[in-house]
Amino acid sequence: MTMTTALTTRPSKAQQAGVDLLRIVRINEEIKAVVGVAFKINIMALNAIFLAKRAGTAARGFGVLSNELRVFSQDLRDGMSVLTAHIHACVTEVSVVLQDIRHTALLRQAVEQSSAACGRAVLAAREVENDRHAERLARLRKQLRAALDDAFRMVELGGVLAKSAKIEAAYGQSFAVPLAQVSGEFDGVVEEIRASLESLRRSAFFTGN
Amino acid sequence: MKTTKTIFQDGNHKWIAIVRDPDKPNYLIDTNEYLVTHGGQGLLLDPGGAEVFPAVFSALSSEFDPSALSAIFASHQDPDICSSLALWLEFNPKMRCYVSWLWSSFIPHFGGTAETFIAMPDEGLDISLDGLHLQAIPAHYLHSSGNLHLYDKIAKVLFSGDVGAALLPPGDDGLFVENFDAHIRHAEGFHRRWMGSNEAKRRWCERVSQMEIDMLCPQHGAIYQGADVQRFINWFDGLQVGICGS
Repeated sequence: MTMTTALTTRPSKAQQAGVDLLRIVRINEEIKAVVGVAFKINIMALNAIFLAKRAGTAARGFGVLSNELRVFSQDLRDGMSVLTAHIHACVTEVSVVLQDIRHTALLRQAVEQSSAACGRAVLAAREVENDRHAERLARLRKQLRAALDDAFRMVELGGVLAKSAKIEAAYGQSFAVPLAQVSGEFDGVVEEIRASLESLRRSAFFTGN
Repeated sequence: MKTTKTIFQDGNHKWIAIVRDPDKPNYLIDTNEYLVTHGGQGLLLDPGGAEVFPAVFSALSSEFDPSALSAIFASHQDPDICSSLALWLEFNPKMRCYVSWLWSSFIPHFGGTAETFIAMPDEGLDISLDGLHLQAIPAHYLHSSGNLHLYDKIAKVLFSGDVGAALLPPGDDGLFVENFDAHIRHAEGFHRRWMGSNEAKRRWCERVSQMEIDMLCPQHGAIYQGADVQRFINWFDGLQVGICGS
């Protein structure tokens, strides 16, 4: 008689799901922090536009970049919304997988102890359902990773814009100091987001280690 | 694994008690589950918590095809009553669950869909099990605010949920009450604390006194039979309940 995999599943699967849940919860917390910072960028970009307008012709190059930074901040917010949606879907699915594991363990125990003929069929059906959930989680994991990569690339572009703005600030004549301050802050925040996303991309939730 | 004991049989009309699991951890309260069968159908009364599901399932399946269970009767909403619901539904997703209307949107947290639940009104409900007429009778506030018991007029058996329950000491694991006076000491504290209303208790005692009952089957402890049934009703009638011991 062939045993279903649900009968032979190692207990480490439950531990793995528990670890996955902890990891995804940590990623969620980190992304929440990044979303907060990304919102700050929007305000900073707006300030940069006002400052460039006040500086007039002396900061024309900065003005062009500050508009780009404003577009970037909006794109970043959209990217963060996508990330948030993916992370919520992942948290839900990891919870479902955890529930599946507990459910299956109880069913397995019942079937092993009982003589009911229907037991193995029910267990096999449960296993199919578990596989479906596991596959969905694997898909969501990939989507989340791809969304993180997209956000990372976007933030790298933001970093280039911020650095260019720092250079342009130097040509701002009497406005050079405040423009340098704004672009420096912008660069600092973008770097902060970049570092967070970089660390999230290395999370064991994606590598499985 | 739990053991099964047929406490009533007339052809394929049976009451089977599923009781006493020697492997059950002590931190879980012991529970009695009852299976009523008639024709090809089965009704499981207070199927128990998720943690005891393997023990209950394996015992039940030694007597009855679990996929032929047509319904579950949940006397009230507690986790030791029906937190195993989702697991039972794995075996028959079309299975129904009878429950007080008061809990019909709470118990779905244990599992099931909108189609699973049959909400029983406060005045009770007639339940048919493959032609066998069973009656859900009101036992509200004993102990839950939406609480029903199940009476089988033919078998003269009353499933009484937490009424009649006793927290028996280790080793005292007889299925039937053998010495009423000794047994009731283990029931007294439970009833004083868990039963919330003297008025509700009075009404219940009046109602069940008018029924023909050979066996009164609680969800915890031992079954009262014969003269011990009326003895219990009289004792309960005289007990002051809704009291915290301290």
